[in-house]
Amino acid sequence: MAISLQKGQKIDLTKGRAGLSSITVGLGWDPVKKSGGFFGFGGGSSNVDCDASVMMLNENGKLADKKDLIYFGNKTSSCSSVQHSGDNLTGDGEGDDEQVKIDLSRIPSHIHRLVFVVNIYQAVQRKQDFGMIQNAFIRVVDNSSNAELVHFNLTDDFSGLMALVPGEIYRHNGEWKFSAVGDGTKDTSISEIANRYV
Amino acid sequence: MAISLAKGQKVDLTKSNPGLTNIIVGLGWDTNKYDGGQDFDLDSSVFLLNADGKCSSEADFVFYNNTKGANGAVEHTGDNRTGEGDGDDEQVKVNLTSVPESIQKIAFTITIHDAETRSQNFGQVSNSYVRILSETNGEELIRYDLGEDFSIETAVVVGELYRHGAEWKFSAIGSGYQGGLGSLVSDYGLNV
Repeated sequence: MAISLQKGQKIDLTKGRAGLSSITVGLGWDPVKKSGGFFGFGGGSSNVDCDASVMMLNENGKLADKKDLIYFGNKTSSCSSVQHSGDNLTGDGEGDDEQVKIDLSRIPSHIHRLVFVVNIYQAVQRKQDFGMIQNAFIRVVDNSSNAELVHFNLTDDFSGLMALVPGEIYRHNGEWKFSAVGDGTKDTSISEIANRYV
Repeated sequence: MAISLAKGQKVDLTKSNPGLTNIIVGLGWDTNKYDGGQDFDLDSSVFLLNADGKCSSEADFVFYNNTKGANGAVEHTGDNRTGEGDGDDEQVKVNLTSVPESIQKIAFTITIHDAETRSQNFGQVSNSYVRILSETNGEELIRYDLGEDFSIETAVVVGELYRHGAEWKFSAIGSGYQGGLGSLVSDYGLNV
Protein backbone atom coordinates (compact mmCIF):
# COMPACT_ATOMS: atom_id res chain seq x y z
CA MET A 1 0.00 0.00 0.00
CA ALA A 2 1.59 3.21 -1.15
CA ILE A 3 1.81 6.22 1.09
CA SER A 4 0.21 9.22 -0.56
CA LEU A 5 2.15 12.33 0.22
CA GLN A 6 1.12 15.93 0.35
CA LYS A 7 3.30 18.75 -0.89
CA GLY A 8 6.09 19.43 1.58
CA GLN A 9 6.00 16.03 3.25
CA LYS A 10 9.11 13.94 3.67
CA ILE A 11 9.26 10.23 4.18
CA ASP A 12 11.94 7.70 4.94
CA LEU A 13 12.42 5.15 2.17
CA THR A 14 15.09 2.88 3.59
CA LYS A 15 14.44 3.09 7.33
CA GLY A 16 12.57 -0.07 8.28
CA ARG A 17 13.33 -1.47 4.83
CA ALA A 18 16.95 -2.40 5.24
CA GLY A 19 17.10 -4.41 2.02
CA LEU A 20 15.68 -1.71 -0.21
CA SER A 21 18.13 -0.87 -2.94
CA SER A 22 16.65 -1.19 -6.40
CA ILE A 23 13.81 1.26 -6.97
CA THR A 24 12.02 2.77 -9.91
CA VAL A 25 10.91 6.37 -9.84
CA GLY A 26 7.93 6.74 -12.15
CA LEU A 27 6.85 10.12 -13.48
CA GLY A 28 3.55 10.68 -15.22
CA TRP A 29 1.49 13.48 -16.74
CA ASP A 30 -1.35 13.98 -19.18
CA PRO A 31 -2.02 16.72 -21.70
CA VAL A 32 -5.10 18.76 -20.80
CA LYS A 33 -7.89 17.62 -23.09
CA LYS A 34 -9.14 20.54 -25.12
CA SER A 35 -12.80 20.42 -25.97
CA GLY A 36 -12.93 19.99 -29.74
CA GLY A 37 -12.44 23.11 -31.79
CA PHE A 38 -9.51 24.12 -33.91
CA PHE A 39 -6.95 24.17 -31.15
CA GLY A 40 -7.39 20.66 -29.77
CA PHE A 41 -4.36 18.46 -29.50
CA GLY A 42 -3.73 16.62 -32.73
CA GLY A 43 -5.66 19.36 -34.44
CA GLY A 44 -2.60 21.25 -35.61
CA SER A 45 -0.87 22.47 -32.44
CA SER A 46 2.24 20.61 -31.30
CA ASN A 47 2.13 17.94 -28.67
CA VAL A 48 3.41 18.99 -25.29
CA ASP A 49 6.60 16.96 -24.90
CA CYS A 50 7.57 16.67 -21.24
CA ASP A 51 11.00 15.37 -20.34
CA ALA A 52 12.01 13.88 -17.00
CA SER A 53 15.54 14.39 -15.75
CA VAL A 54 17.53 13.75 -12.60
CA MET A 55 20.20 16.00 -11.16
CA MET A 56 22.67 14.16 -8.96
CA LEU A 57 23.90 16.73 -6.45
CA ASN A 58 26.75 16.61 -4.00
CA GLU A 59 26.71 17.46 -0.30
CA ASN A 60 26.67 21.17 -1.07
CA GLY A 61 23.71 20.79 -3.40
CA LYS A 62 25.90 21.31 -6.46
CA LEU A 63 26.01 19.54 -9.78
CA ALA A 64 29.73 18.80 -9.74
CA ASP A 65 29.97 17.25 -13.21
CA LYS A 66 27.66 17.69 -16.18
CA LYS A 67 27.60 13.89 -16.42
CA ASP A 68 25.59 13.98 -13.17
CA LEU A 69 22.62 15.29 -15.12
CA ILE A 70 20.67 12.27 -16.31
CA TYR A 71 18.22 12.97 -19.14
CA PHE A 72 17.21 11.60 -22.52
CA GLY A 73 20.61 12.60 -23.93
CA ASN A 74 22.61 10.99 -21.09
CA LYS A 75 20.56 8.09 -19.88
CA THR A 76 22.99 6.34 -17.56
CA SER A 77 25.06 7.88 -14.79
CA SER A 78 28.80 7.22 -14.86
CA CYS A 79 28.37 4.98 -11.79
CA SER A 80 25.44 3.28 -13.62
CA SER A 81 23.32 3.48 -10.47
CA VAL A 82 20.81 5.76 -12.22
CA GLN A 83 19.23 4.70 -15.50
CA HIS A 84 16.70 6.71 -17.45
CA SER A 85 14.32 4.51 -19.42
CA GLY A 86 14.08 6.92 -22.30
CA ASP A 87 12.06 9.67 -23.84
CA ASN A 88 8.29 9.68 -24.20
CA LEU A 89 7.11 12.32 -26.61
CA THR A 90 3.42 12.62 -25.80
CA GLY A 91 2.40 11.78 -22.22
CA ASP A 92 -0.63 9.95 -23.58
CA GLY A 93 -1.98 6.90 -21.82
CA GLU A 94 -2.12 5.62 -18.28
CA GLY A 95 0.69 5.05 -15.81
CA ASP A 96 4.27 6.24 -15.84
CA ASP A 97 5.30 8.23 -18.86
CA GLU A 98 8.98 8.07 -18.05
CA GLN A 99 10.86 6.00 -15.50
CA VAL A 100 14.19 6.21 -13.76
CA LYS A 101 15.68 3.07 -12.28
CA ILE A 102 17.95 3.63 -9.30
CA ASP A 103 20.22 1.33 -7.35
CA LEU A 104 20.53 3.20 -4.06
CA SER A 105 23.37 1.01 -2.77
CA ARG A 106 25.54 1.90 -5.75
CA ILE A 107 25.13 5.66 -5.63
CA PRO A 108 28.59 7.10 -4.98
CA SER A 109 29.05 8.47 -1.47
CA HIS A 110 29.65 12.02 -2.72
CA ILE A 111 26.15 12.16 -4.22
CA HIS A 112 23.66 13.28 -1.56
CA ARG A 113 20.58 14.30 -3.45
CA LEU A 114 18.71 13.25 -6.56
CA VAL A 115 16.44 16.03 -7.77
CA PHE A 116 13.78 14.99 -10.25
CA VAL A 117 12.71 17.53 -12.82
CA VAL A 118 10.02 17.47 -15.49
CA ASN A 119 10.27 20.22 -18.05
CA ILE A 120 8.55 21.01 -21.32
CA TYR A 121 10.74 20.46 -24.35
CA GLN A 122 11.02 23.68 -26.41
CA ALA A 123 8.48 25.38 -24.15
CA VAL A 124 9.32 28.88 -25.39
CA GLN A 125 9.40 28.05 -29.11
CA ARG A 126 6.15 26.13 -28.87
CA LYS A 127 4.54 28.64 -26.46
CA GLN A 128 3.66 25.92 -23.98
CA ASP A 129 3.51 25.79 -20.19
CA PHE A 130 2.36 23.47 -17.43
CA GLY A 131 -1.13 24.94 -17.58
CA MET A 132 -1.48 22.55 -20.54
CA ILE A 133 -0.55 19.52 -18.41
CA GLN A 134 -2.61 17.78 -15.76
CA ASN A 135 -2.44 14.73 -13.49
CA ALA A 136 1.29 15.01 -12.91
CA PHE A 137 2.67 12.60 -10.34
CA ILE A 138 5.84 11.02 -9.06
CA ARG A 139 5.96 7.62 -7.41
CA VAL A 140 8.59 5.27 -6.04
CA VAL A 141 8.37 1.53 -6.60
CA ASP A 142 10.39 -1.22 -4.91
CA ASN A 143 11.69 -3.31 -7.80
CA SER A 144 12.03 -6.48 -5.75
CA SER A 145 8.31 -6.64 -4.94
CA ASN A 146 6.84 -4.14 -7.42
CA ALA A 147 5.20 -2.51 -4.41
CA GLU A 148 4.55 1.21 -4.73
CA LEU A 149 6.21 2.81 -1.71
CA VAL A 150 5.32 6.44 -2.23
CA HIS A 151 2.89 8.29 -4.47
CA PHE A 152 2.63 12.05 -4.80
CA ASN A 153 0.08 13.77 -7.05
CA LEU A 154 0.91 17.36 -7.94
CA THR A 155 -2.24 19.39 -7.48
CA ASP A 156 -1.17 23.03 -7.74
CA ASP A 157 -1.90 25.19 -10.74
CA PHE A 158 1.36 25.40 -12.66
CA SER A 159 0.14 27.77 -15.38
CA GLY A 160 2.95 29.92 -16.68
CA LEU A 161 5.66 27.57 -15.41
CA MET A 162 7.84 25.53 -17.73
CA ALA A 163 9.52 23.15 -15.31
CA LEU A 164 8.36 21.16 -12.30
CA VAL A 165 10.34 19.64 -9.48
CA PRO A 166 8.02 16.84 -8.34
CA GLY A 167 10.32 15.42 -5.71
CA GLU A 168 13.76 14.64 -4.37
CA ILE A 169 15.48 11.59 -2.96
CA TYR A 170 18.18 12.52 -0.47
CA ARG A 171 20.46 11.12 2.21
CA HIS A 172 19.57 11.87 5.81
CA ASN A 173 21.38 10.31 8.77
CA GLY A 174 22.52 7.30 6.79
CA GLU A 175 19.11 6.61 5.24
CA TRP A 176 17.45 7.68 2.01
CA LYS A 177 14.40 9.88 2.23
CA PHE A 178 11.89 11.17 -0.30
CA SER A 179 10.64 14.73 -0.26
CA ALA A 180 7.42 15.73 -2.02
CA VAL A 181 8.55 19.06 -3.46
CA GLY A 182 5.82 19.75 -6.01
CA ASP A 183 7.05 23.14 -7.12
CA GLY A 184 7.38 24.81 -10.46
CA THR A 185 9.97 27.11 -11.93
CA LYS A 186 10.14 29.42 -14.91
CA ASP A 187 13.27 27.73 -16.26
CA THR A 188 12.80 27.21 -19.97
CA SER A 189 15.14 24.26 -20.46
CA ILE A 190 16.86 21.53 -18.50
CA SER A 191 20.23 23.22 -19.05
CA GLU A 192 18.85 26.42 -17.51
CA ILE A 193 17.78 24.49 -14.40
CA ALA A 194 21.07 22.63 -14.25
CA ASN A 195 23.05 25.87 -14.49
CA ARG A 196 21.53 27.00 -11.21
CA TYR A 197 23.32 24.14 -9.47
CA VAL A 198 26.76 24.62 -11.00
CA MET B 1 30.52 28.28 23.05
CA ALA B 2 26.79 27.93 22.46
CA ILE B 3 24.75 25.11 23.92
CA SER B 4 23.01 23.18 21.15
CA LEU B 5 19.59 21.94 22.15
CA ALA B 6 17.48 19.09 20.88
CA LYS B 7 13.70 19.24 20.69
CA GLY B 8 12.17 19.19 24.18
CA GLN B 9 15.33 20.19 25.99
CA LYS B 10 15.35 22.96 28.52
CA VAL B 11 18.35 24.96 29.55
CA ASP B 12 19.04 27.62 32.07
CA LEU B 13 19.79 31.04 30.66
CA THR B 14 20.39 33.54 33.46
CA LYS B 15 21.69 31.13 36.09
CA SER B 16 24.64 30.03 33.98
CA ASN B 17 25.17 33.56 32.66
CA PRO B 18 25.03 35.82 35.73
CA GLY B 19 24.51 39.46 34.92
CA LEU B 20 22.77 38.68 31.64
CA THR B 21 19.99 41.18 31.04
CA ASN B 22 19.82 42.09 27.38
CA ILE B 23 19.52 39.31 24.87
CA ILE B 24 18.79 39.00 21.16
CA VAL B 25 16.71 36.10 19.98
CA GLY B 26 17.68 35.41 16.37
CA LEU B 27 15.52 33.36 14.06
CA GLY B 28 16.74 32.08 10.73
CA TRP B 29 15.55 29.93 7.86
CA ASP B 30 16.14 29.17 4.21
CA THR B 31 13.19 28.88 1.89
CA ASN B 32 12.51 26.82 -1.14
CA LYS B 33 15.19 26.58 -3.81
CA TYR B 34 12.49 26.49 -6.47
CA ASP B 35 10.57 29.69 -7.06
CA GLY B 36 7.19 27.97 -7.33
CA GLY B 37 5.91 31.08 -9.04
CA GLN B 38 5.24 32.74 -5.66
CA ASP B 39 7.20 34.78 -3.16
CA PHE B 40 7.94 33.13 0.13
CA ASP B 41 7.60 35.32 3.22
CA LEU B 42 8.16 33.95 6.71
CA ASP B 43 7.30 35.99 9.77
CA SER B 44 8.44 35.64 13.32
CA SER B 45 6.03 36.62 16.07
CA VAL B 46 6.31 36.73 19.84
CA PHE B 47 3.56 35.96 22.32
CA LEU B 48 3.89 37.38 25.82
CA LEU B 49 2.03 34.96 28.06
CA ASN B 50 0.62 35.17 31.55
CA ALA B 51 0.60 32.39 34.14
CA ASP B 52 -2.27 30.72 32.26
CA GLY B 53 -0.26 30.59 29.07
CA LYS B 54 -2.41 33.24 27.39
CA CYS B 55 -1.92 36.74 26.07
CA SER B 56 -3.76 39.13 28.41
CA SER B 57 -4.35 41.62 25.60
CA GLU B 58 -3.49 42.30 21.99
CA ALA B 59 -0.55 44.39 23.17
CA ASP B 60 1.09 41.09 24.22
CA PHE B 61 1.24 39.91 20.62
CA VAL B 62 4.46 41.32 19.18
CA PHE B 63 4.91 41.01 15.44
CA TYR B 64 5.69 43.05 12.33
CA ASN B 65 2.68 45.31 12.91
CA ASN B 66 3.22 45.75 16.65
CA THR B 67 6.94 45.64 17.14
CA LYS B 68 7.11 46.54 20.83
CA GLY B 69 5.64 44.80 23.87
CA ALA B 70 6.08 44.40 27.61
CA ASN B 71 6.47 48.18 28.02
CA GLY B 72 9.31 48.14 25.53
CA ALA B 73 11.20 45.22 27.11
CA VAL B 74 10.53 43.10 24.02
CA GLU B 75 11.25 44.56 20.61
CA HIS B 76 10.83 42.94 17.20
CA THR B 77 13.38 44.50 14.85
CA GLY B 78 11.23 44.16 11.77
CA ASP B 79 10.06 42.09 8.87
CA ASN B 80 12.33 40.30 6.44
CA ARG B 81 10.50 39.37 3.30
CA THR B 82 12.80 36.83 1.68
CA GLY B 83 14.86 34.74 4.13
CA GLU B 84 17.84 35.08 1.83
CA GLY B 85 21.42 35.15 2.96
CA ASP B 86 23.29 33.81 5.96
CA GLY B 87 22.57 34.51 9.56
CA ASP B 88 19.45 35.64 11.37
CA ASP B 89 16.52 36.59 9.19
CA GLU B 90 14.61 38.30 11.99
CA GLN B 91 15.58 39.29 15.50
CA VAL B 92 13.82 40.08 18.74
CA LYS B 93 15.50 42.04 21.52
CA VAL B 94 14.54 41.24 25.08
CA ASN B 95 15.50 43.08 28.24
CA LEU B 96 14.90 40.31 30.75
CA THR B 97 15.00 42.50 33.85
CA SER B 98 12.30 44.88 32.66
CA VAL B 99 9.78 42.25 31.54
CA PRO B 100 6.72 42.85 33.81
CA GLU B 101 6.15 40.20 36.45
CA SER B 102 2.75 39.38 34.91
CA ILE B 103 4.51 37.92 31.89
CA GLN B 104 5.68 34.42 32.79
CA LYS B 105 6.55 33.07 29.39
CA ILE B 106 7.62 34.43 26.01
CA ALA B 107 6.88 32.20 23.04
CA PHE B 108 8.74 32.59 19.74
CA THR B 109 6.99 31.46 16.59
CA ILE B 110 7.54 31.42 12.84
CA THR B 111 4.66 31.41 10.39
CA ILE B 112 4.36 31.49 6.62
CA HIS B 113 2.62 34.61 5.36
CA ASP B 114 -0.36 33.80 3.13
CA ALA B 115 0.62 30.12 3.14
CA GLU B 116 -2.73 28.79 2.08
CA THR B 117 -3.25 30.89 -1.03
CA ARG B 118 0.37 30.46 -2.03
CA SER B 119 0.24 26.73 -1.31
CA GLN B 120 3.33 26.82 0.88
CA ASN B 121 4.32 24.94 4.03
CA PHE B 122 7.27 24.22 6.31
CA GLY B 123 8.27 21.23 4.20
CA GLN B 124 9.71 23.85 1.86
CA VAL B 125 11.67 25.56 4.61
CA SER B 126 15.07 24.26 5.61
CA ASN B 127 17.79 25.12 8.11
CA SER B 128 15.43 26.78 10.58
CA TYR B 129 16.91 27.69 13.90
CA VAL B 130 16.53 29.88 16.91
CA ARG B 131 19.47 31.19 18.88
CA ILE B 132 19.99 33.45 21.84
CA LEU B 133 22.77 35.98 21.91
CA SER B 134 24.03 38.25 24.61
CA GLU B 135 23.37 41.75 23.29
CA THR B 136 26.35 43.17 25.16
CA ASN B 137 29.07 41.03 23.58
CA GLY B 138 27.30 39.21 20.75
CA GLU B 139 28.15 35.82 22.23
CA GLU B 140 25.85 32.98 21.15
CA LEU B 141 24.56 31.32 24.31
CA ILE B 142 21.97 28.85 23.05
CA ARG B 143 21.17 27.41 19.68
CA TYR B 144 18.38 25.11 18.56
CA ASP B 145 18.31 23.77 15.00
CA LEU B 146 14.83 22.62 14.11
CA GLY B 147 15.86 19.93 11.65
CA GLU B 148 13.45 17.93 9.52
CA ASP B 149 10.43 17.77 11.78
CA PHE B 150 7.98 19.78 9.72
CA SER B 151 6.09 19.27 6.50
CA ILE B 152 2.56 20.49 5.85
CA GLU B 153 2.50 22.76 8.88
CA THR B 154 2.27 26.50 8.32
CA ALA B 155 3.18 27.64 11.84
CA VAL B 156 5.93 26.56 14.22
CA VAL B 157 6.46 27.41 17.88
CA VAL B 158 10.23 27.25 17.95
CA GLY B 159 10.95 27.92 21.60
CA GLU B 160 9.97 29.62 24.82
CA LEU B 161 11.71 31.77 27.37
CA TYR B 162 10.11 31.23 30.76
CA ARG B 163 10.53 32.21 34.34
CA HIS B 164 11.70 29.52 36.73
CA GLY B 165 11.92 30.92 40.21
CA ALA B 166 13.97 34.06 39.88
CA GLU B 167 15.72 32.88 36.73
CA TRP B 168 14.88 32.71 33.02
CA LYS B 169 15.13 29.40 31.20
CA PHE B 170 14.78 28.46 27.55
CA SER B 171 12.80 25.52 26.24
CA ALA B 172 13.29 24.10 22.72
CA ILE B 173 9.69 23.45 21.67
CA GLY B 174 9.74 22.76 17.92
CA SER B 175 6.01 22.11 17.58
CA GLY B 176 4.31 22.57 14.23
CA TYR B 177 0.71 23.61 13.63
CA GLN B 178 -1.54 23.83 10.66
CA GLY B 179 -3.67 26.93 10.27
CA GLY B 180 -0.90 29.52 10.23
CA LEU B 181 -0.61 32.56 12.44
CA GLY B 182 -4.39 32.67 12.91
CA SER B 183 -4.45 29.37 14.78
CA LEU B 184 -1.58 30.45 17.05
CA VAL B 185 -3.24 33.76 17.84
CA SER B 186 -6.45 32.05 18.94
CA ASP B 187 -4.57 29.30 20.82
CA TYR B 188 -2.90 32.03 22.82
CA GLY B 189 -6.26 33.49 23.77
CA LEU B 190 -6.66 36.36 21.32
CA ASN B 191 -9.46 36.99 18.86
CA VAL B 192 -8.38 36.83 15.25
